[in-house]
Amino acid sequence: MKKLFFLFVIILSVACSEDENNTPTAPINDNFDTGQATLLKQGTLMGVGHSVSGTAKIYDENGKKAVVLDPFSSQNGPDLKIYLSKDENASQYINLGAMKSTTGKQSYEITGTPDLGEYKLVLVWCEQFSVLFGKAELK
Amino acid sequence: MIRLPYLFLLVGAFCLSSTWVAAQIEAGNYKFIDANLAIGDSEGSLAFSLNYDRGVGKRKKIIIGLAGRLTSYFGKNQYYVTAPAALTSGSTGPGVLFKENIEANMDTFLIKTSQVNCFNLALTLGYNLSERILLRFNIDVIGFSFGQSVNGNYINGTEGAMESANPSVFNLLLISDNDKGSLNSEFFVRYLLNDKWAIKGGIQFLFTEFTTDSDVQQFPEPNDRFRNKSLMFSAGVSYKL
Repeated sequence: MKKLFFLFVIILSVACSEDENNTPTAPINDNFDTGQATLLKQGTLMGVGHSVSGTAKIYDENGKKAVVLDPFSSQNGPDLKIYLSKDENASQYINLGAMKSTTGKQSYEITGTPDLGEYKLVLVWCEQFSVLFGKAELK
Repeated sequence: MIRLPYLFLLVGAFCLSSTWVAAQIEAGNYKFIDANLAIGDSEGSLAFSLNYDRGVGKRKKIIIGLAGRLTSYFGKNQYYVTAPAALTSGSTGPGVLFKENIEANMDTFLIKTSQVNCFNLALTLGYNLSERILLRFNIDVIGFSFGQSVNGNYINGTEGAMESANPSVFNLLLISDNDKGSLNSEFFVRYLLNDKWAIKGGIQFLFTEFTTDSDVQQFPEPNDRFRNKSLMFSAGVSYKL
């Protein structure tokens, strides 16, 4: 009976373990030449209940649009994504990808042809827990 | 809302089961109350059931039974995927059991905190390995679900949207992804401690399903049903009535 109890406790411990899936923290410097691209919009990143700071800019480079975060710094967390969203609740958004690093210049290609008049926010979004870490309103 | 034919099916099933149960009590077969806890990865369930087991065959070692089971499921950050077999397998016949999922048709609905309660009639099959060790498999067949409305993140590739959803009301066991609603099943060993009390341990396979307020999925056809399949370790106690 005692053995059965310990076996059950071990099974529960294994079952409850959680993969944090955090973002890399090493500083990066993406090779995006802003001198060759046209700046369309920009906004200041602000943390929402978390530490996020920097500048978000949208560039057009030969018809391809990209969000560039530079400078950029964010508190770490699980499953952080960069969203281009219509509002800060991410009621409709485009997922630009997993956040590459918590610090340093990073670029994210915008897929499709979204109306940038409607998708006017860049969000740092924890997808797994549906939590907003930071936002920048693009103007 | 439960559709009328489903309601008739549900009422019919409960009437039939009541008659069957009454017959078993008269015949003096075993009745158990079970309380069960199951734990998985950021999820768990509590289940309470009233079970009627009947031995068949000469030595009464083979068991068939019927149960009424209430299951409460709790999940944190669970990914629900497209549910209808027509989308997941491209057809709705019995052959879906052997078909691979069509990944291009599978979208995701991520729910931060999900809680689904389902009350179902269940069938039991079993074998008594000895006087004290009983092997059992049971599976929910028909019933209904209820629970709070939730907000979830509908994810379709790089695009997404937030949408509210409710637990799908009607539950029915069919074949593979043809199933509807939330259905529980267990494979476990029950060990009799004495004449009244027993402990049980095994695995639980639980489907929970949410229906979104609108057809958030549009390709290849509109869909509002999303399912989560949970495989969990389970343990519990039984009391013989």
